[in-house]
Amino acid sequence: MVLRFYMQISSEEIIFLIGLTSIIFLIAPCFLILYVLSYNRRKKKHLEEKVWLKTTFENELLKTQMEVQEQTLKTVANDLHDNIGQLLSLITITLSTIDLEENSKIASKIILTDDLTRRSINELKALSRLLHGEELISKGLAAAIEFELEWLKRSERYQISFKKDSFKSVADSAKETMVFRLFQECINNIIQHAKASKIVIILEQDNSSFKLTISDNGIGFNVDEKLNLKMGMGLYNIKRRAAMINGTATITSIPGSGSVIAITVPSN
Amino acid sequence: MIFITFNTVSELACFLAGLIFLFKDKDPAWRLLIWYLLLTCIVEVAGIYIRTSLHVSNIPLYNLSVLPECFVTSYFFYSLYKTYHPKTKWLIIWLSIFMIMYFTELVLNHFNNFVSITASVMSVVFVLASLYYYYLKLKDEHFERLLFYAPFWWVSGTLFFYFGSTACNLFFDYLIKYPSISYEFSVRYIIFCILDVILYSFWSYAFICRYLQRKSYS
Repeated sequence: MVLRFYMQISSEEIIFLIGLTSIIFLIAPCFLILYVLSYNRRKKKHLEEKVWLKTTFENELLKTQMEVQEQTLKTVANDLHDNIGQLLSLITITLSTIDLEENSKIASKIILTDDLTRRSINELKALSRLLHGEELISKGLAAAIEFELEWLKRSERYQISFKKDSFKSVADSAKETMVFRLFQECINNIIQHAKASKIVIILEQDNSSFKLTISDNGIGFNVDEKLNLKMGMGLYNIKRRAAMINGTATITSIPGSGSVIAITVPSN
Repeated sequence: MIFITFNTVSELACFLAGLIFLFKDKDPAWRLLIWYLLLTCIVEVAGIYIRTSLHVSNIPLYNLSVLPECFVTSYFFYSLYKTYHPKTKWLIIWLSIFMIMYFTELVLNHFNNFVSITASVMSVVFVLASLYYYYLKLKDEHFERLLFYAPFWWVSGTLFFYFGSTACNLFFDYLIKYPSISYEFSVRYIIFCILDVILYSFWSYAFICRYLQRKSYS
């Protein structure tokens, strides 16, 4: 076949054909090299983006940890002022009213002082536990939420319900810290703005993800309007931080009918 | 003067570049290239001498030179793949197939003709090896500045040479049979001059990159 092919066309044509084929065979590697080089440049860009994302995540995590500590310190300060400060003032007042000549009242006042002192000690112990904020998260997300809610229950302003039946644990401590901070912020929002009387927290988990739902029966708000206010630790930041741990934050609220914030995060 | 051609000059320049930049290289695969280029220069000069002074065919010499060409290039590709998956068995299988083909063709040609089929198969295998190296590089998550990455330019030169010579290899029998188009400045000669210049330029650049890389690490 090849021989017949040769015989049908002239040698000049064969030369031309060989030359042309060789030129094409030289051009092809040029494009291939250009493609490999340009792909390599894209790979570099992609790697830079990955590094940037990692750094941003680490910064955000650090910020979150600091915010958790800050929140703890605020609670401590409030408690020192509202609780322990009051108890110690009462002790001082009680002690100052003791009249050594009124023997009949001395005993009851000492018993009262003793009671106040014990309550102060218990309060201080509780505060000491709270101060170990990081230790709190190390015990697990559910335990940290429970502890935080215990504190909130003492105010007796809210009817609080916490369900965590299907929740076991999350392997990634960074995710736990982030979600715990989101929980704190949602609770802060409820305390400051919602005017609610009832708070329901549900922590659920399945094979691939876990979900934290915080709902209240407060005054509610316009979600779109609040999301556009990209300032502070608002709703926008809750969504952004949830996205950083590959999760989603769904916010639903109707003015006058309370609000529901659901944070879903993949377990791995 | 007859010894000064595009081929001999480009080969000699590349050999000198190899000698200067690879002499102290720690990798034996790279150092082996110096010896290979020296051999190439000797073969090229000897080929011209045999053809022009002794007036006999230099085909046996070029048949013989195919052996180191295949072994050195294959070993070099093997050393490049080593970082990804060191599979010695593929190198051994390929070299065994090559040897069988080479000697079979030599015997069938009665040692008179060039082993063009073996050379064509070898070219195709080296083209595939080069493309496979690109594939590994694209898949590799580790970033490398390819513009200054010696193995990349060595492979690119090899790809240019073997891919570009495919047409000549395919029509080798025809080009040899017709003396009217196989004179000194035949299309085959011109193409191989261009390919040689490209190959040895790329390789020389690769040697420089290799030298700079070694210097930056030390």
